[in-house]
Amino acid sequence: MSDPTAILLVDDEEEFVSTLAERLEIRGFESKAAYSGDQALSLIESNDYDVVVLDVKMPGMDGLEVMNHIKARRPEMPVILLTGHGSTKEGMEGMHKGAFDYLMKPLDIDELISKVQEALGSQPKSE
Amino acid sequence: MNPETEKTLTFFGKMTANLTHEVKNVLAIIQESAGLMEDITAICPLTEKKYQEKFNRSMATIKQQLHRGIDLTTQFNRFAHTPDRASAELNLVDTVGQFCLLTERFARLKHIGLTAGEPPANERIRLTTNPVQFYMALFFSLESCLTALPADTEIRITPQKKGGKSPAIEYACTGDHLPPAEEFFQQLQAADAWSELREMIGQLQGEVECDTNDLRFWLIF
Repeated sequence: MSDPTAILLVDDEEEFVSTLAERLEIRGFESKAAYSGDQALSLIESNDYDVVVLDVKMPGMDGLEVMNHIKARRPEMPVILLTGHGSTKEGMEGMHKGAFDYLMKPLDIDELISKVQEALGSQPKSE
Repeated sequence: MNPETEKTLTFFGKMTANLTHEVKNVLAIIQESAGLMEDITAICPLTEKKYQEKFNRSMATIKQQLHRGIDLTTQFNRFAHTPDRASAELNLVDTVGQFCLLTERFARLKHIGLTAGEPPANERIRLTTNPVQFYMALFFSLESCLTALPADTEIRITPQKKGGKSPAIEYACTGDHLPPAEEFFQQLQAADAWSELREMIGQLQGEVECDTNDLRFWLIF
């Protein structure tokens, strides 16, 4: 049996991201929640994730800055951005900077899963 | 619009946009928590069927109201950004749709229906204008209609190209309890909001045209 897909979820809204992580676990994913950009980067240093789901608007280091750091260390790692509902501009900007795609918050979990699967399908599996 | 007014509007816009962003975060948490409860009961249903059914009904209501809340805050967030620019190109179909969603309650309180009409063949109608003043013109028109119409009638607001070229907004009033056209237009024009509309439409360099036979009028730009 293959390993479950490992997803790192990054958002400063702790209740949101921890509940989303639980829901993904129920659906067979291995998910970890990080509540800041710094925490996310330190988790990426020591763990392997297949996909990162990253909120754009966070206090301190914002999502786009976190993505730049991720891409510098792990260019192959797909990043899906979360933007405020209706904020297509930030999502488009993120895609220009290397994000796989973006979703708007509040999000639909099935849509997130299908985006994760799409992202995995588009990336060569890292060794 | 004078610079002081612009500053005030920008301030209110920023505060409102910030607040709607926070509300969306709240809704996102409620949505995920409700989703988790649903996931759990799907794995392990309640032992008594009637309670499971009540739970499912209640969950359906929560989800329906969440979508409503998300829609409203999304549109209101966009609206809050209108003072950001003194001039912008507006997609009138989107703008009218958004306006109707945000103001439907004013009509509902008077038992009057409010709908956004579709332009013929989903035509794209755009207008470069001052977005705040444009919204105000839409609102003064609506307020005038609400003053002149009785309950159980309907207002349909439709963007269109008047005479095939000028961007316009049609206000059409329908229903079984409509007053005679003459009475409607008398009351419409006596409304305070109508004077405000006249002033605003002048600032936007547009005009108002009335069809006194059919309880319709247009804002033409």
